[in-house]
Amino acid sequence: MMKSIPKEAYGAIEDIVGADNITDDPAFLDSYAFQWLAELVRPNRSHYMPRPWAVVMPASTEEVAAVTRLCNVHGIKVKPISTGWYHWAAPMKDDEPTVQLDLRRMDKIVEIDEKNMFAIVEPYVICAQLQAEVMKRGLNLNIIGAGCSTSIVASACAYFGGGPTSYFMGNNSDNLLGQEWVTPAGEVIRTGSLSSNCGWFCSEGPGPSPRGITRGGLGSRGGLGTYTKCAIKLSPWQGPPVMEPKGVLPGYRLPIPENFRVYTIGAPSWDALAECYYQIYDNGIGYIFHRQFNLAGADLAPALWLNYIDTTKTLNDVETSAKDPEIQKITEEARISFQFIMQGNSIEDIHLQDRILDEILRQTSCYKVKRFCEPDMAEFTNMYMQRLGHKHCNFIWAGGYMGSWMQPGTPDFVKKYVPVAIDGFKRDQQANDKLVQCGGDALMGCGSTIGGGGFFGLEQFVSYDPNDNDSIDACVKHMEGAICDTAENGIPPGKELLYLQIGWTDERIWDTFARMPQTFVLNFQRKIKEAFDPNSLGDRNYPWLPEGWAAKRDGPKTL
Amino acid sequence: MGLEDFRADAMRCTRCAYCKWIPFDLMKSYRFSRGCPSMEAGKFHSYSAGGRLVTALSLMDGRSTVTEKVKDSVFRCNLCGQCDVSCKICRYDMEPLEAMRELRATLVKDGHTLPQVAPVIDSLRTKFNMLGEPAEKRGDWVQSLKVKDLSVEQAEYVFHPGCRYSFDGDLGHIARTCVEILQWSGIDFGIFGKKEKCCGGRAYDMGYRDDFQNMAKVNLKAWKRAGVTTVITPCAECFHTFSRKYTAKAGAEIKVVHMVQFIARGIKDGKLKFTKPLDMKVTYHDPCHLGRQGEPYVPWVGHEKKIFGQAVCYEPPRPKYNGAFGVYDAPRQILNAIPGIELLEMERVKEASWCCGAGGGAYESYPEFALSTANERLEEACSTGAEALVTACSWCERSFIDATAANGKKLKVFDIVELAGRAL
Amino acid sequence: MDIRRNALADIVGAVNVIDDPRILEGYASDCSAAPRRNPRFVVHPQNATQVQALVTWANQTHTGLVPVSSGAPHFYGDTVPSQPGSIIVDLSGMKQIKRIDRRNKMVVIEPGVTYAELKPALAKEGLRISQPLLPRRNKSVVASLLERQPTTIPRFNFSLPEPLRNCGVVWGSGEIAFTGESGNGIPDLEEQWKLGGAQVDPKGPNATDLMRLLTGAQGTMGIVIWASVKCELIPAASHSVFVASEKLEDLIDFCYQEERIRIGDEMMCVNAPQLATMMGDSANEIGRLKAKLPAWTVMIRLAGAGHFPSERVEVQRLDLGRLAQKCGLTLQNSLASNGAAELEKAFESDSGDTYYKLKYKGGCREVFFLTTLDKAPQFVSNVFAIAERNRYDVTEIGVYIQPQHQGVSQHVEFSFPYDPGDTRGTERIDRIYAETSEVLMSEGAYFSRPYGAWAEMIYSRDATATKILRVVKGIVDPKNVLNPGKLCF
Repeated sequence: MMKSIPKEAYGAIEDIVGADNITDDPAFLDSYAFQWLAELVRPNRSHYMPRPWAVVMPASTEEVAAVTRLCNVHGIKVKPISTGWYHWAAPMKDDEPTVQLDLRRMDKIVEIDEKNMFAIVEPYVICAQLQAEVMKRGLNLNIIGAGCSTSIVASACAYFGGGPTSYFMGNNSDNLLGQEWVTPAGEVIRTGSLSSNCGWFCSEGPGPSPRGITRGGLGSRGGLGTYTKCAIKLSPWQGPPVMEPKGVLPGYRLPIPENFRVYTIGAPSWDALAECYYQIYDNGIGYIFHRQFNLAGADLAPALWLNYIDTTKTLNDVETSAKDPEIQKITEEARISFQFIMQGNSIEDIHLQDRILDEILRQTSCYKVKRFCEPDMAEFTNMYMQRLGHKHCNFIWAGGYMGSWMQPGTPDFVKKYVPVAIDGFKRDQQANDKLVQCGGDALMGCGSTIGGGGFFGLEQFVSYDPNDNDSIDACVKHMEGAICDTAENGIPPGKELLYLQIGWTDERIWDTFARMPQTFVLNFQRKIKEAFDPNSLGDRNYPWLPEGWAAKRDGPKTL
Repeated sequence: MGLEDFRADAMRCTRCAYCKWIPFDLMKSYRFSRGCPSMEAGKFHSYSAGGRLVTALSLMDGRSTVTEKVKDSVFRCNLCGQCDVSCKICRYDMEPLEAMRELRATLVKDGHTLPQVAPVIDSLRTKFNMLGEPAEKRGDWVQSLKVKDLSVEQAEYVFHPGCRYSFDGDLGHIARTCVEILQWSGIDFGIFGKKEKCCGGRAYDMGYRDDFQNMAKVNLKAWKRAGVTTVITPCAECFHTFSRKYTAKAGAEIKVVHMVQFIARGIKDGKLKFTKPLDMKVTYHDPCHLGRQGEPYVPWVGHEKKIFGQAVCYEPPRPKYNGAFGVYDAPRQILNAIPGIELLEMERVKEASWCCGAGGGAYESYPEFALSTANERLEEACSTGAEALVTACSWCERSFIDATAANGKKLKVFDIVELAGRAL
Repeated sequence: MDIRRNALADIVGAVNVIDDPRILEGYASDCSAAPRRNPRFVVHPQNATQVQALVTWANQTHTGLVPVSSGAPHFYGDTVPSQPGSIIVDLSGMKQIKRIDRRNKMVVIEPGVTYAELKPALAKEGLRISQPLLPRRNKSVVASLLERQPTTIPRFNFSLPEPLRNCGVVWGSGEIAFTGESGNGIPDLEEQWKLGGAQVDPKGPNATDLMRLLTGAQGTMGIVIWASVKCELIPAASHSVFVASEKLEDLIDFCYQEERIRIGDEMMCVNAPQLATMMGDSANEIGRLKAKLPAWTVMIRLAGAGHFPSERVEVQRLDLGRLAQKCGLTLQNSLASNGAAELEKAFESDSGDTYYKLKYKGGCREVFFLTTLDKAPQFVSNVFAIAERNRYDVTEIGVYIQPQHQGVSQHVEFSFPYDPGDTRGTERIDRIYAETSEVLMSEGAYFSRPYGAWAEMIYSRDATATKILRVVKGIVDPKNVLNPGKLCF
């Protein structure tokens, strides 16, 4: 039975944010409950996560803090959302009263410090907006893998932080400078140089870095308070101050300046790919480094993208193209490939980087995929990768996509699990026709999720139809299969486990945690939660383990 | 069609929020990055296309009912189609704009109407225009021009100025300029004058489909009787209605030409030459209904099919209608051909054009929302350094004229036909 | 007989429990103004098991432990016990280089490994690490990284803790838990290596950055028993260039632009006294060099590793030359008759037997902080004014500006040489230190590494950080056995 927010609480929040900025209208609430991936974990394949009791739109940190303190009084959980886009952005449990804080009104670029290369932003500033502004100043920012429609504050403070540019620009965890955090208790906390009133430029210290409690490999995903501002480190941009795409949508093309190069690099084997990655890291060339187009599946990617850039074509044409011998040749050439963009400080610099790349390719038996390096595709690749504004193409086949695997590690580590991932996905596709049949390799991922190279993961793009319960079931079956495949092969579980856990009971999650080889951090996080969230207004997106919890049953370590 | 026909769209919405922005590739600044006037006004997710898909789903699933807030979120929208363009950057299987229209029609059918709209619809039904003006005054704009009366004669072309050009005292001269240009070009055309009826397009967008059907029937019948094969109009809304909505019915064989297309063709064929310089820095506003919603259109009938297991496509193939082939070049060719005109483009142009505010019935239903939307566009126009804003739609012009009057901005507003006329 | 001695001997072996007063004296004070206090014992654990046992024992007996990894002299007071009865845990004997992984360019080391020891071992694999400026020969690499000592290659500095990646830690509670990606797997390095782990990703585990809670902690949170460190290739070609000016202000724009586009490896901006101290081997030589060197110099080493190393150096030189020209400056290959090779020594060497700052007068006090480059000249002016007021010869003050975080922040360091045998001189230095610290802090200099008196100054102004750190301390070291009395604990 759906409950509703008490009048008293509603009125009090209304007094803080204004009547226009709070609602408990059921249809409005549903627009926040409705989330991608909900159908994988909710009863009866519902697309709705739990409904919030109200949606509130604060305009400032002070309002966020005031609303949060109020919710403490009334025992209502607080779940912030900015640009959203994952089921964990919604309330987590049906029986937990939750106010969803929609941070849309906090959308200012507070400052761009061009000289010192950082920008201060509020949560609803998206990467595309900031990129457009900083490019005018010869700067750029790391856009995370989910694309330029995402909140910078979210990726830096509360989520993952890796993207195609992390290799050159760093992970957003490292790009995070000063930040402002409203704890679940309603306290405003600033970290780094900001808390010492020295400005926004440094996230470390004083002494040990308090920011260490706010995020690690992942952040709290809205489960431990609200981030209301952050400063983000920027990186150099040697291209034109304003992007001037040409052509017709969706295949906008970005002309390639003479000090840039845009390639799709192919490898004859996964071993060769790994060697190529290592040499790229060693040689320190490259600006954007990502295995992007393969999200469509190696069997279908060239057919899709070569049709995609022609706006008159449909997926029907992709079906035809996939059978075209010429396209099939390209498909084989591009089967194991990735996108690689280089930026030069000068013409001489880019020429040298070209020579270095050619030498790397020669030594690793890799090559440039001819068709994808032709001007139309190269310029399309340039547009796609620089702005990263086509990430909704993740859903291009059927409207549903789930990313499995993605265990990060060194190239040697990744190349070992790739065959297992491919075989498993192929098996699951062939079990019936309820998943998009794109071949076993739909692996996509950054060249490195940390600056300088060395660490990345590849995720399988499992495309399913969220309008078809059988298709959703097939996706879940694949996820469970992937978990078994990893366990049987001594590989840590991938993203599929994180997603499925959203639908688990607390106890089941804690059992999984208790079986982990190191539980120190989960106990640590329990105590952090006790200290900063005494009334438990945050949700389990911030993971923790109850004191003394022992796994109650045997079985596979992760199921 | 019914709302259930869009269930799949709603179920396949990923809540990516692309519908709130212009295509990201086209963003040139923070200031002019937003694409959805409705979201700027309403702010809650329900005011976006994605949000409305969820509203539709929620209503269909019986999880909610139509409240005043729901009505507000459904109708406080220009139906400008920017969301549709942005969604379709990455998707072949979504029709957010059509879904939102269907949602409106469903609400209207079920009696959930806006009281402020009642007099407008009543005017349509009784006076065949949506401005509340007496039908007999519709032809007054003609003044002393001598034009074939197609209520009694026949011609190949009909010139259809539309309600706003006909009745709006500030814009009637543009209709006359159109007639002069058409006469100059020597084509065989006429007008219906006071017998002309509203295209019905706005009614359709406001959810009143039956009223639209009535207008469409009447117009098509009248054109057939007059032997008309081609409609020429200076109004982008009429252009869109005739070329996109009429073609679903018996209007399929009627060709539709907007004045900018006619003039541009004339320039290309050498029949129209601009000789008088107009020294002006201008910027051009792409009307939604001429631009992204003004693409050549063939109605599609078919069904969904799946390929590669679950990839969604259609049989026969369903064209994307993503705004790629809107009428963007013709107006620019005209402006570039006029000596002395310097065209300074805004950031949000062509398929990324920000709405004037008048569309979707917002001018009538939510005037303050229409005004704020128009003001946003005027800010953008002023940012180019232009002294004038030029467009090709009567509703855009009305919206901008009202906004400049309200905010005191020293920006002139011109219909492109007026400039063309001055330069000839 | 102190019964604790037996307990300690049971853990580390009798020979590794020291209570010789002469040795204890060595740990009782350092080159800072930290109040003198003798430890009760010095113990030398040899492995992680012993370290854990020590911490467990400390919890049981409520005994303070002061971890030390580097040899003397120490400078910041963090290794001087603050509480009576504390025990020095001297990790300098844990000297294993556990693994050099050329392929992934990572090295895993124990806390006792020094820069001098690590360098040749890495060199055999063609590797090196970005190091601080002229570290002491007996400086522990792990200690330096934990202290967030600035390293000299900004372009590799994707975060301030770089190149530190993962740590194996005995936390103050006595638990062992690893940081970063190694915190996700089995707590055994060999097992992790077998499964293909290389301890590369510094983040985590989970939603906590445990490594960041260790850096800058002065050993108050946990004792690091191993650390993984990111390595780089040794350049096959290099060439150093210099840009000099009489005024620091004239170099700022050039530095901004150079740092932005990440040309070169080692890069720093120093004044004449600082550079003279770096180059000179004796007081006389330092004095002579001070007079000859330009007032301010930006030093950049252009380096080429991987394919086409010489060509890389050449292209960098070309691009840097253009940049210098744009800023109205000139690239030089030498300074005051000193060739590049000689000047370059500072980039890769350690200080030799004597820490370089002590060569001039035997003693040196440092004031350092983080700021943005635009503020550096004003801070320099302010410090010089304070020095002048206190009648300290400003031509003696070394200034070292080291870009951090790829140019977003700058480590600014003032060195005040003095003769420790001169009581009045020492008192003057103390006054300058106190006044400079106070003034700089009030003007926004960020003392991110709050040693000694700075701790009280920082934490009394920063209630938020104090609160959070005390919560963290309460979790990881509930009985406050690790270096009690430091920071805000």
